[in-house]
Amino acid sequence: MRLARRFSWSAPFSPTSQLSWTIHFRGNHWQTSMLAFQASLPMRAEPRKKKKADPRREQAQKDRMKKKIKKLEKAALEMIPIEDFVTPFKFLDASRVRDISPLSFEESERRALLLKKWALYKQKEHEAEMETLKSLMAAQQEALEELRLESEELYQAAIRRDDDLFPFEKEGPTYTPQVPGYEAPEGKCIDVTKVYTQ
Amino acid sequence: MALWCGALWPMGGKMAAPMQRALCGAAVPWRWALGPRWLAAAAAPRWRLVGALCLQRPPSITQALSPEQEEMAQLVHQIEVEKSNFSDHEIRRLAEEEQLRKMKDNIQDEEADSGQAIVLAQDLEDAWEQKFQQFKAGPRITDADKRNDRTSLNRKLDRNLMLLVKEKVGNQELWLLPQAEWQAGETLRSTAERALATLSGNCIQAKFLGNAPCGLYKYKFPRALRTEGSVGAKIFFFKALLQSGDLPQAERKEDYVWVSRGELGDYLKPDYLTQVNRFLMDQ
Repeated sequence: MRLARRFSWSAPFSPTSQLSWTIHFRGNHWQTSMLAFQASLPMRAEPRKKKKADPRREQAQKDRMKKKIKKLEKAALEMIPIEDFVTPFKFLDASRVRDISPLSFEESERRALLLKKWALYKQKEHEAEMETLKSLMAAQQEALEELRLESEELYQAAIRRDDDLFPFEKEGPTYTPQVPGYEAPEGKCIDVTKVYTQ
Repeated sequence: MALWCGALWPMGGKMAAPMQRALCGAAVPWRWALGPRWLAAAAAPRWRLVGALCLQRPPSITQALSPEQEEMAQLVHQIEVEKSNFSDHEIRRLAEEEQLRKMKDNIQDEEADSGQAIVLAQDLEDAWEQKFQQFKAGPRITDADKRNDRTSLNRKLDRNLMLLVKEKVGNQELWLLPQAEWQAGETLRSTAERALATLSGNCIQAKFLGNAPCGLYKYKFPRALRTEGSVGAKIFFFKALLQSGDLPQAERKEDYVWVSRGELGDYLKPDYLTQVNRFLMDQ
């Protein structure tokens, strides 16, 4: 390129100097004319000639987009719907309602008495649990007091927080025990929960 | 010596314990010069410290419901069904039952009976039922339960099982929770961990629940065995949950058992048992 551009301004603008431009050596074979350097091979892949109107048009487009974005941002964010609180219409159909005969007197009595019995049972259960917890705490408190009487150092070590204890993970009990060597049937679980983005 | 002791008196007896002992180890006449604190230390009984381990295997199956719970569960289920609407499956089943009834009544209907390869809801239910029957669940009452093999861990899967060991204390063979005597330089929790390691030989993985002891049992030695240094022993219990592993089966078959809370009474002495029961959650 540089090679092609090097021309001397030794003479003022005269036909001879103009001619000399075209006769000047070309450094490359793909350049047909000196002036049309933009059409050379490496640059042919660019979008075509940018007219003066284009930048303005592009600017206008960008501004419009920005305005739209600003409007959307200014508007209040749409809340993500809670699926559980929205009953789908098909479940509100009248044909779905069960027709149950009203309860007999005996049945309603039985239910009321059972609920009272249950309330008493739960109360006893709660009291027993509270007693157990109190006994647990009292036993621990006593043990710590006696330990303190023995040695302050051991007491301080005992009341120190155990950092390895939490997070504490444990599998809960199931109805039947684990069967050793059980192979679950093959299948694929496809998660169809709707994910919303704000 | 008297002047020196007198000079120390204004400190109010705040000397460190080793210094006190070093000064007045055998110097009985000088005891009175050093203040009440030393006197108290001399008069207080010295106890041996022991760290014991309450290793529990947590339950792997749920306990059976009590009769009241069973009744309530049924009632709750009934109410739930009454308050619900029909599901898609139920509507389909009802519709198909209607159709079948109509077809039985109008036998003259010849509307493409043979071409039907529809799966009815009832067929689906039967297929599901069959598949469920093929599944063999693990037994809730295991072999070890039936044999009452108390050394096995597979017993009483719905209860907490605790480890008890038979040890020789003094001249008696006693059942107690595994314990080890405290050595200087370690915390009581590490004493309990040491007891576990010596017992199981690193086969057992247990999760200790905190640094603090959960209970205490103190007893005095018989007069003959009491010395200056030890009037009795204080056993501090630490709770741990069994995560994996078991005692090596080859050794000491008769010396250990895994028992539930109800069976503790068969093994432990009454006083010891009352103290242990204080920190066990009801089963």
